Amino acid sequence: MVSITILSVTTVIFGIGALILASRARNRLSPGSLRKYIDNFSVCLAFIVIFTMWLTIRSVTNVEVSFAGFSGYPEFIFLVFAYIGFMIASYRVSKISEEFGFKEDGKEIANLIKKKK
Amino acid sequence: MDLKLKFKKEVKNLKDYIVLVRVSSGDYKKTNIEILKLLVNEQKTPGIYVTLNKPFEVMQRQLKQNKVDPKFVIFIDAFTDVAENKKRVKNCLYIGSPEKLSDISIAMDQAVKSLPTKEKFIIFDSINTLQVFNKPGTVMRFVHFLSTKIREWKVKGIIILIKSSADEPLANELVQFCDSKIDVGGE
Repeated sequence: MVSITILSVTTVIFGIGALILASRARNRLSPGSLRKYIDNFSVCLAFIVIFTMWLTIRSVTNVEVSFAGFSGYPEFIFLVFAYIGFMIASYRVSKISEEFGFKEDGKEIANLIKKKK
Repeated sequence: MDLKLKFKKEVKNLKDYIVLVRVSSGDYKKTNIEILKLLVNEQKTPGIYVTLNKPFEVMQRQLKQNKVDPKFVIFIDAFTDVAENKKRVKNCLYIGSPEKLSDISIAMDQAVKSLPTKEKFIIFDSINTLQVFNKPGTVMRFVHFLSTKIREWKVKGIIILIKSSADEPLANELVQFCDSKIDVGGE
């Protein structure tokens, strides 16, 4: 029981640490695609941290909470939100790769140079 | 002296370099085209053109008019503000605003790495415009970043600065990072 609590608390600390690092990274960036991606990623991370915090508090206090019809394990709703967030973040990454990917342009330039030679 | 001669004299046999081109507003358009003619047509070098002052379409048209093949150049257009779904066209990425320095940096890095040749160039046109949209400290940090990256990428770097008395501190700072400085036209 104690070891599970220690593990849970450590996980929460790592999660909060990751959120702080992401927030610092965001502050250093100017507005744009990368900053939007960090926003998405931070929201997902926040949901996972809330989920873990909830589990930790519950395992320590043994308090049962139910809301909006979610009895038993209502904290799983945060995990669902996190996965939805990850899907949005992955979509944003694919958009970023479409925008910033110059591989095809590079190949065409290489072909043009070959032709000219 | 002719710009081409000046350029050749300044960079001589250097494979990669950073040149600061200080140009008067009157000679600005002609100078940009001349530099591109020298790099693309004479030296057969592909490269990247970061434009903060003119839209990609205008640049493309001007290059075609002057018999410079725009297909050899990847454009990063931070001047034109386009819809989110039209940010990418062939040979050009629209950044949307000169304020988006992180996006400009990522785009430059990706574009340089996508070019398959050993020799490549990057033209930054112009550094003055950044000052209109960003804080002076941010611009200085960006200038430092840009010069470090140009060295790291081992490319021919040309930074264009339009002459104006207000930008003297920026010019003085830039000279420190450049291998040489070329002055074109009067004040």
